[in-house]
Amino acid sequence: MRTITIAPLEPFKVSVEAENISPDRFAPLALGQIRSLGVWYGNRKMRLCDLFLVDGDDSPVKPEEVQIRIKGDFSRVKRIGEGMSAGTVEADGRVGMHAGNNMRGGLLTVQGDADDWLAREMRGGKIVIRGNAGNYAGAGYRGEKCGMRGGEIEIGGSAGAYLGEHLCGGSIRVNGDAGDFPGAANQGGIIIIGGSTYLPGAEMTKGTITVKGKAKVLPGYQKMETATIDGVEYQKYAGDLVENGKGELFVRKGSS
Amino acid sequence: MIIKGGIVYDPANGIFGEEMDLCMDNGRIVEDAKGEEIDAHGLLVMPGGVDAHSHIAGKKVNTGRIMSPNDGRLGIEPRAGVCRPSTGYTVPNCYAMGYRYARMGYTTAFEAATPIMEARHTHEELEEIPILDKGALTLFGNNWEVMECVRDKDFGKLAAYVAWGLRAARGYGVKIVNPGGGEAWGFGSNVKGVNDPVPNFDVTPAEIIMGLAAANETLRLPHSIHLHFNNTGKPGNYTTALETLDLLKGIKPSRMRQIVHIAHMQFSSYGGTSWRDFESKAPVIADYFNKNSHATMDVGQVLFGAATTMTADAPLEYGNARLTHAKWSNHDIELEESSGVVPWIYFKKNLVNDVQWAAGLELALLTADPWKVLMTTDHPNGSPFINYPEVIALLMSKSKRDEELAAQHEMAAKRSSIANVERELDWSEIAIMTRAAPARILGLEDKGHLGAGADADVSIYDLKPEELDTSKDHALVKKCLANSKYTIKGGVVVSKGGQIMAVPPGKTFWVDANVPQADMDRLMVDLKDKFEKYYSVQLSNYAVQDAYVPHAKVIRAGLQTEPMKEVA
Repeated sequence: MRTITIAPLEPFKVSVEAENISPDRFAPLALGQIRSLGVWYGNRKMRLCDLFLVDGDDSPVKPEEVQIRIKGDFSRVKRIGEGMSAGTVEADGRVGMHAGNNMRGGLLTVQGDADDWLAREMRGGKIVIRGNAGNYAGAGYRGEKCGMRGGEIEIGGSAGAYLGEHLCGGSIRVNGDAGDFPGAANQGGIIIIGGSTYLPGAEMTKGTITVKGKAKVLPGYQKMETATIDGVEYQKYAGDLVENGKGELFVRKGSS
Repeated sequence: MIIKGGIVYDPANGIFGEEMDLCMDNGRIVEDAKGEEIDAHGLLVMPGGVDAHSHIAGKKVNTGRIMSPNDGRLGIEPRAGVCRPSTGYTVPNCYAMGYRYARMGYTTAFEAATPIMEARHTHEELEEIPILDKGALTLFGNNWEVMECVRDKDFGKLAAYVAWGLRAARGYGVKIVNPGGGEAWGFGSNVKGVNDPVPNFDVTPAEIIMGLAAANETLRLPHSIHLHFNNTGKPGNYTTALETLDLLKGIKPSRMRQIVHIAHMQFSSYGGTSWRDFESKAPVIADYFNKNSHATMDVGQVLFGAATTMTADAPLEYGNARLTHAKWSNHDIELEESSGVVPWIYFKKNLVNDVQWAAGLELALLTADPWKVLMTTDHPNGSPFINYPEVIALLMSKSKRDEELAAQHEMAAKRSSIANVERELDWSEIAIMTRAAPARILGLEDKGHLGAGADADVSIYDLKPEELDTSKDHALVKKCLANSKYTIKGGVVVSKGGQIMAVPPGKTFWVDANVPQADMDRLMVDLKDKFEKYYSVQLSNYAVQDAYVPHAKVIRAGLQTEPMKEVA
């Protein structure tokens, strides 16, 4: 395992676009080359080492043997782990928008919070967030028909609005609450929400949403039988009938 | 500048693959010149490409961009050298249109449909497209004034309106889209055929087409009427196509050209009664074109993958929107047109899409005379224009067609005759279908050929036509056509090996036609009334001002007896 550590040199005044912080990009490069990878700091193009302290093993390996450790506040650093296919990225604090964009494999763990658009259009791999996630986690970007298509997201805290919008596959598990409209236009993914939420599954055509707390259910959903999951009773709904949908929505009995 | 030793294909001047030098000076092809030399020994040299039917500018293109931000994320190229940033695939930004056409060796492209009322927007976008010479066809087929003139059989006034409309829109020619259908759509319906009356106007599509065709010839416009049939895109519509074509046989052309140009013929070559028994009737259409010479067509080839359908045929787009169950833009343009935009994907395993793919190729291959059929994809309806090299490779190689066919739906080969079409086009025919014929059909005298006095628009490809087996090496053909070795526009190298070298602004052609003052006076009475009663804009604010067309090239036409000349 080749470990590379990255830490900001000083707090960022504006956003940093750092799609190069990814095991796939680092793997074939020596440390010196990694340091001179490009990043955008606002509208200025800079090298990684201009903004970050980069340290670790020097010798190139395969992507699956790369471990990137992110130290400090990365809440303004966008696109960490974009398109990664293998290896691990571990952040000990917060990460900025678009972390794990288009991720295809490997593991991204974040001890703090993740900002909006976490795992946008993710296709595979696993993302674990110990804190909260922002809006549009696992969603598709503007105009896109498919959001997340595969892989797994675990969010320890709560998630923002539009969790898993346009979901086409994969699974999202949130421990806490989810904001408005989780699983909007879901086309075949799985969402499990530990807490409460508001209007899940709008325009859902396929897939499953389970809410363990309270949920306001849309009028486009038809009440079905009671289902028992892990010994707990859930009210099952089918919909969204507005879209002639075949999705399944489970809301814990007695909670709504 | 001199291009040395190229294998030149200039069909308009009877040159079919001869080794010769080309000289140019001051933006024109000349007999003799000095200066920079380009070594093109053994390489394919053709006039710059001319696209006679493409949707490159105007409100519906922009609507396509707005409703597909996902499309904008494709094809991103940052600012570099002389290039401004590029975005988009099916609906690229203005700059990308210019760069991508130029990289393929194209130097002229015509926007195929602009309502007069939205022409200002079209010209603002055309002006931002670098490199290319352009023009815009103006929509007349659902216009209230047109339908009233036709109903009253006042053809003098109709000709006056066409002339006035072209001037107001700074337009190049008469485009007719689903005549009467767009107006009927205002009431939630459509016309079902050429003899189905238009609600509230007491005219039929046939009368509108005939009236406009007559006006077009009265005005001696450089281009014929440019027609998008009724029932376009529907199963069984080939009968409508043939019926409409037959109507027009009686019109006398005022110039040495066709009487009617049919837009994206492929979308009107369908048999069957529904999507279930949908089949290609392209062989019947091609046969009609082989036996008759009053019409020309462009193919409107479909390729698999993303597209954006955009047309002034709003009821057609309503049907599309119902099929995809996704995004739909629907638009009403006051007294003139309706329109719609629907993003689209053609699937290789979808039988209907396979038939459409085959029908386009059949039209191009079964029509014997390449001067009658242009290679287009009706960008971005069938596929974006950057896929032209794919279409050309398909036309040049039976084996490539067979490979494609093998990957399609198992029934595909039975619903068209494409599997049995052996013809493979050669470079002469490709040069006609992409250069010489579109220029002749549009009536552009200085385009599409390399004779002395022509515009110095030349494309040179890294292909050796004398050695290359285009049937076998179709992958190489496609690759080399995508990025020309040199594209020269007006005597300036604009693209070299896929890299944009210079971005001169292109000209915009428009046609100014004279009509008798008495007709114009009668027309203005009507128009004042219409603008007062119905339009949301004032007559005085309506026409496109010259400031919006700074690189105008005006072509004179109309009822004069003097020999016509171009005036700069």
